[in-house]
Amino acid sequence: MSLTLRRLGALPLGGWPVTVIAALGVGIYLFPIYWMLISGLKDSAEIFANPPTFVPRAPSLAAFEYVFVRENVLRYLRNSLVIAIPVMVLTLVLGSMGAYAMSRLRNRVVDVAIVVVLLLQVFPEALLATPMFIIFRTLDLLNTFTAVILATTSKTLAFALVILRPMFRQVPVELEEASFVDGCTRLQTFRLVVLPLMRVPLIVVGTLCFVQAYGQFVYGLTLLSQQELQPATVGIYSFVGAEYADWHRVMAFSSIFVLPILAIFLAMQRRIVSGLTAGALK
Amino acid sequence: MPGSQPALLYVFLALPVLYLVGFVGFPIAYNLMMSVQEVNLGNITEFARPFVGLDNYRTVLADESFRKVLVNTLLFVGFNVVAQIGIGLAVALFFAQGFPGAGFLRGLLLCSWMLPALVVGALWKWIFATEYGVANYVLQGLQLTGSPIHWLSDPAVALTSVTLANIWFGMPFSMILIAAALTAIPKEQYEAASLDGAGAGARFWYITLPALRPALLAVASLVTIYTMRAFDLIFAMTQGGPLDASNVLPLLSYQFSFNQFDFGTGSAMGSFAFLIVFAVALIYVRTLKHEEVAG
Repeated sequence: MSLTLRRLGALPLGGWPVTVIAALGVGIYLFPIYWMLISGLKDSAEIFANPPTFVPRAPSLAAFEYVFVRENVLRYLRNSLVIAIPVMVLTLVLGSMGAYAMSRLRNRVVDVAIVVVLLLQVFPEALLATPMFIIFRTLDLLNTFTAVILATTSKTLAFALVILRPMFRQVPVELEEASFVDGCTRLQTFRLVVLPLMRVPLIVVGTLCFVQAYGQFVYGLTLLSQQELQPATVGIYSFVGAEYADWHRVMAFSSIFVLPILAIFLAMQRRIVSGLTAGALK
Repeated sequence: MPGSQPALLYVFLALPVLYLVGFVGFPIAYNLMMSVQEVNLGNITEFARPFVGLDNYRTVLADESFRKVLVNTLLFVGFNVVAQIGIGLAVALFFAQGFPGAGFLRGLLLCSWMLPALVVGALWKWIFATEYGVANYVLQGLQLTGSPIHWLSDPAVALTSVTLANIWFGMPFSMILIAAALTAIPKEQYEAASLDGAGAGARFWYITLPALRPALLAVASLVTIYTMRAFDLIFAMTQGGPLDASNVLPLLSYQFSFNQFDFGTGSAMGSFAFLIVFAVALIYVRTLKHEEVAG
């Protein structure tokens, strides 16, 4: 710690006072999230109060009740989950296979494959929406979850391969060799030795892919025109797009939608942070 | 390399790569094909469509909204890259002092990046509401502005508003990556410099910045790539309006296709966006290769 302080030039205070300053700063930065959560607790009079109240005068769950009863939040949430969970599973299966192969093979084929994956992960979904629409219309899969799941996985899979590849490299080859000596095949070694060692990184990447798929919007909007099938993002959008939005209700809807993500993130914060830093720059 | 069944590794490699080629590579190629065809609602699923050469591209280049939106896109991406890296570097340096709880508080910032972009857009639309929005209330309370700012309905301000929201959304991600690169700088360099009498400023300029350069380049590429994807956020906040004031290329291309059903022009417009992203992606891939050799 003294090294760190010396190298960057310590603030005159140091220690706990800096922690207080940092906590205040983080609090101010995350204020919008607080604002979303408490706006949902206001009623229609208080939401348009001037001056706005920073602590709800009379917190009420009326807006939450409204979106549950009138806006079918549960159906939207179910749709989002029905899309996000298969995306996560499909991404992890294909992603761990690909990343494992990329970490073990060393030749031109792999080099080319890595560059192809890196390049294919960069294209904005909005630009792929029209071809996707045509592909799934040709396959007669418009207005099915399958279409959105397949389309969304193309985004999360590239991301997962990029993050997982350096992580698979950290599994010592010696462990695999020992397993071969014991008579295991490559497939058994992968299943019984490599994957268990990769449990934590796979959970981290799975979580990140789940979050991406859960908040996916463009393909839900483009490939699903039946309201009963649309994910929560599209539901929130149709709510916000209205001329005069009922902001306490929009914020209640958004809060219900993001609270699971925030809970998962808080529970796994350290692992997610270290997973991201390990993957994106290598 | 153990000789045991390398064939399986090639199967493992082929499956995800083929998936990506099928669901990303093919759509990109299809988009290019559509950009030289006349595509409307009537013939959208037919394979043989009238070939119009570069007509769609001419339409795009002559379109006034395209030029405006191209400039917007460059401004939007440029400001995001500069702000996310500048602020991200400052915040990362602040947390690198290693005070109690630094790691936890720094990680907490990532909450904003975890939110779905559409929700971030909806949230900032509410914060930026002219009459009841909290942004105007706070600014007026602090006497920073007299009359309420029309964040989303004033064409002169709308691009700034969506840029601010996107910086809030993405900065923590850049910050975390920069923080990771900071910890990789050998401490001995700082000690040696201190012994030679280098002050904090000199150490930052002569040690920290050069050491961070490859990482900063990689982060800049990633921010560009993610910012080009800011469709959801802008769609929720302004739909690109008013009068395309806050519009960006991918969104304009989407609107040409799905609002005006002019798929050919939309695809040609998309090609320009592809070009920008592709150029940045090449830089990104190069920085990664470079890093691998170095480290």
